[in-house]
Amino acid sequence: MRIARLLAVCWWFQLKQMTKAGLFVFTSIIEPLIFATLAYYLFKAGHRPGTLLYAALSAGLMGIWTSTLFGSGGAINFQRWQGVLEPLVASPPPYALILFPQTLAAASIGLYSLASTLVWGRVIFGIPLHFVHPVAFAISIVVTIVSLGVLGLVMGASFILYREANALSNMLEFPIWIVTGVIVPLSLLPGWIHPLSWILAPTWGYRAIHNAALGGNPWPGIGIALGLAAVYFVIGQAVVVAFERRARERATLSLV
Amino acid sequence: MAAIEAENLRRTYKQTSGFLRRRTKTIEAVRGIDFAVDEGELFGLLGPNGAGKTTTIKMLVTLLIPTSGTARVLGSDVVDDARTVRRKIGYVFGGDRGAYERLSGLDNLRYFSELYGVPPKVQKQRIPELLELVGLTGRERERVEGYSRGMRQRLHIARGLLHDPPVIVLDEPTIGLDPVGARELRHTIAELARAGKTVLLTTHYMYEADALCDRIAVIAKGEIVATGTPAHLKSAVADRTVIEIEAYGAPEDAIRRLRDAPGVTSVAVEDREHAQLLLVQAPQGSVLTQQLLGHLDGVRVGRVTAREPTLEDAYVSLVTEN
Amino acid sequence: MSVAVRNRMSYGRDQRLRQTLRIFFHGGYFSYRALFNWQSPRFYVPTMLAGPAFQVLFFAYLGRYSHVRDDAFYVVGNAVQVSGMSGVFGVAITVGGERWTQTLAPLLATPANRMALFLGRALPHIVNGFIVSAFGFAIGRLLLDFHPGLGTIPELAVVVLLSTTTCTAFGLVVGALGLRWRDVFTIANPAYFLMLLFCGVNIPLSALPKWMQVVGSGMPLTHGIAAARRVAHGASLSSVDGLIGKEALIGLCYFAAAYVLLRVFEAEGRRRATLELV
Repeated sequence: MRIARLLAVCWWFQLKQMTKAGLFVFTSIIEPLIFATLAYYLFKAGHRPGTLLYAALSAGLMGIWTSTLFGSGGAINFQRWQGVLEPLVASPPPYALILFPQTLAAASIGLYSLASTLVWGRVIFGIPLHFVHPVAFAISIVVTIVSLGVLGLVMGASFILYREANALSNMLEFPIWIVTGVIVPLSLLPGWIHPLSWILAPTWGYRAIHNAALGGNPWPGIGIALGLAAVYFVIGQAVVVAFERRARERATLSLV
Repeated sequence: MAAIEAENLRRTYKQTSGFLRRRTKTIEAVRGIDFAVDEGELFGLLGPNGAGKTTTIKMLVTLLIPTSGTARVLGSDVVDDARTVRRKIGYVFGGDRGAYERLSGLDNLRYFSELYGVPPKVQKQRIPELLELVGLTGRERERVEGYSRGMRQRLHIARGLLHDPPVIVLDEPTIGLDPVGARELRHTIAELARAGKTVLLTTHYMYEADALCDRIAVIAKGEIVATGTPAHLKSAVADRTVIEIEAYGAPEDAIRRLRDAPGVTSVAVEDREHAQLLLVQAPQGSVLTQQLLGHLDGVRVGRVTAREPTLEDAYVSLVTEN
Repeated sequence: MSVAVRNRMSYGRDQRLRQTLRIFFHGGYFSYRALFNWQSPRFYVPTMLAGPAFQVLFFAYLGRYSHVRDDAFYVVGNAVQVSGMSGVFGVAITVGGERWTQTLAPLLATPANRMALFLGRALPHIVNGFIVSAFGFAIGRLLLDFHPGLGTIPELAVVVLLSTTTCTAFGLVVGALGLRWRDVFTIANPAYFLMLLFCGVNIPLSALPKWMQVVGSGMPLTHGIAAARRVAHGASLSSVDGLIGKEALIGLCYFAAAYVLLRVFEAEGRRRATLELV
C-alpha cells in the first residue's frame, strides 16, 4: 500500500515536472505529427488507403517510444545537472522505486503524441477514427505504456553509472521502431531479428494496439506484454541495485 | 552509544584519463580517520578545500562506499544497513543546486516527504512549520528557478528536516551566502542543536566553527590532525605569539627563509589587495621581530604587529604544520 | 563598437587577414571540441554513425512496406539527409549552445571578425557531415539493395559535399534562431525531421500537395538529393548541373540569411540584455 502510494505520487510529480519542461511536450507532439504526415503521404503514394489510420496510430506509438527514450535517459542526467540525484539516492526507498515512476511518466508523456497524431489524422486528413475494440484499445495502450516504462527503467539504470550512456539514446530511436514492428510489419524484417522482437515487451503491446484498433485479437498481445514487463521489472530492479552500489563505489553520482 | 562513529575510514578515487592508453591514478581523499559524535552534540569538521570533508560526509550519508574502514550512524552501518541510515539522517549540502527548478519549493518538499515516507497528515503540519523555520513562508508556491541562492539553501535545510531525523549532516551550508543570510542560518543550526538533534557540520569558516560547535575535528589532506573543543584547540597555540607582517611582493625564497628561521613554527601567507600578510607563529618570547625582518631583506615591509593567537591561528598551524 | 574599430585601424592588412584566418580555423576547431566533446568515440559512434545508419535502414524498410520506390531511393535520400546530424544538430549546438556554457557573452565581447568566427564554426561540421553521409551510403551498400557503379562514386561525392555544405548553412540559420529563442533544440529537432518530410528524402515531391512542393523547393538538400539520385543511377554531373546550381544558390542564401540573423540578434541581444539568459 505504501509502495503503491509512493509510486503514484512520484509518477504524478514527475509528470508535472516533465510537462512544465515545455520543450519535452512540444517535441513529443511535433515529431510524431511530422512522422504521421510522412507516413500518410507515403502510404497514399503507395496506394494503400486502408492503412491511413494505421499510419496515424503508428506515428503516435513511435512518439511514445521517443518520449520514453529521451525522458528516461534524460531524466537521470537532468537530475545530475540539477544536483538532485544525490539527495534522491540518499533517501530511504530503493532507487528503483524512485526511478520507475520517472520512466513511467516519460512513457506517459507519449500519450500527447498518440492523441495528437490521431486528432491530426482526423482533422487534417479526414481519417475516420473508428476502433474495432475500443475497450481493449484503451487497455492495450495502458499496458504498452507500462511495458515501455519498465524498458525505460532498465535503460535508465545504465545512466546512473555511465555518463556517456546518454549518447546511446541518440541512436536507439530508430532501431526500436524497426525491431518492435511499430509501423513496418515484422514479416518484412530478416528472420534473425524476430527473436529480438519477441523478447521486447512493446512489440506485443504495439501488436495488441494495432489489433484492437484495426481488427484482430488484442488479448494475447496484452497478456504477453504484461508478462514480459513483469520480468523486465525484476531485471531492471536488480540492475538498479547493482548499478547504484557500483556508482557509490566509483563515485560517479555527483559528476556533472 | 555515539550517534556517529567512524573507524579508520578511508576512501580513494581512481581517475582514468586518455582513451586509447588509459592511465589510472589513485587519489587518497580520506586516509583512515577516526572520530565519534555523541548524541545531541554539534560537531564540526573543519578543513581547507580538498581536505576530504565532503568525501567523509558522503560516506556517512551512504552516497559513497568507503574503500576501507567502517562508519555507523546510531548503530547502523553505512554500507550494510544503508536504508536504516538514510531514514535516520537528514542531509543538507551547500550550493545552489539540488532542487527541481521548474517546480515550486512546496512541490519539492512534498515530493521528498513522500520519499522519506512522511505520512500525509504529518506532511500537512510539518511542511508549513519548516517553511516558517527557514523563512520561506509566502514564497513556497513560486518556482525554485526564481529563488535566490539563500532561499535555495534554506529550502535544502527544510528538505533535510522533513522526516524529523535524529541526525543532521550539513555540508558547508553557508557557502556562498551573504553575511546576513549566513548568520540567520547559523542561528537555525544552533536551534536544531538546542532541540536535541545531533548535528555534524563541515565548514572552512573558522568563526562559524567557533561560534557553533561543541567539538571540532580539524581535517587536512585526508587526515584528522586534531580533535577537541574550540577552547582546547586554541590552548594548543596559547603559548605562542603571532607576528603579522605586511609585505609588498615578498618572493617565495624569502618566505622560505622565514619559515626555516630558528624559533619560527609556521608561516602563513594571506594575499591582500596590494600586499601580502605574513602570519608568523612562534613560541612566546623566542623570536625577535628584528630577526624576522632580517630574513625579509630587500622586501618592502609595512605594518608589523604582534598579537595573541586565535582559533584561526590554531587552525592554520594545524593545517600547515602537519 | 569602438573597440572593434580601433583594432581594425591598428593592424596592417596582412596581419588582419592572418588573424581572421586564425579565428576561422582555430576558433572553429576549439569551439567544436569544447562544445561537442566529439573526440570521444563513445559519443561519436552512437550519435554520428549508428543513429544515422539505423535511420537509413528504418526508411528503407518503411519504403518496402509502402511499395512506393526501391531501396536506392531511400538510401540516397536518407544518407544525404543524415548529414543534418552534423549540419543541423551539430551546428545548432555549437552556435546556440554557447548560451549554456555561458561563453557567448565573452565571445561577443571580442573584436573578432564575425564572419570568420561564424564560418569557422561551420567548417568542421561540413567535413563531419560528409563523413556521416558516406557512412550512411556504405550501410545502404552493405545491408540494402543499393549498388551504384564504382565510377559514380567521385561524382556522387561532389554532390554530397555540396549538399552537406548547404545543410550546414541551414543549420547556421537554425543555430541563429536558437540564440534568439533560448533553446536550440526546440528548433533543431523539428527542423531535422521536417527535412525528412519536405526535401524529397522519403516521399517523391510529386506525391506531396502543391504548397509542400513549393516549400520543399526552397529547402536545402531537395535539389542535392534529386541530383544524387540521378548520379547514383549513372547520370553525369553535367547532366544535373541545373539541380546542382539551384542547390548551391539555396546554400548561399542560407549562409547569407544566417549571417544577417546572427548580426541582428547580436545587436538586439546587446540592447535587450538577452544574451546571458540560460
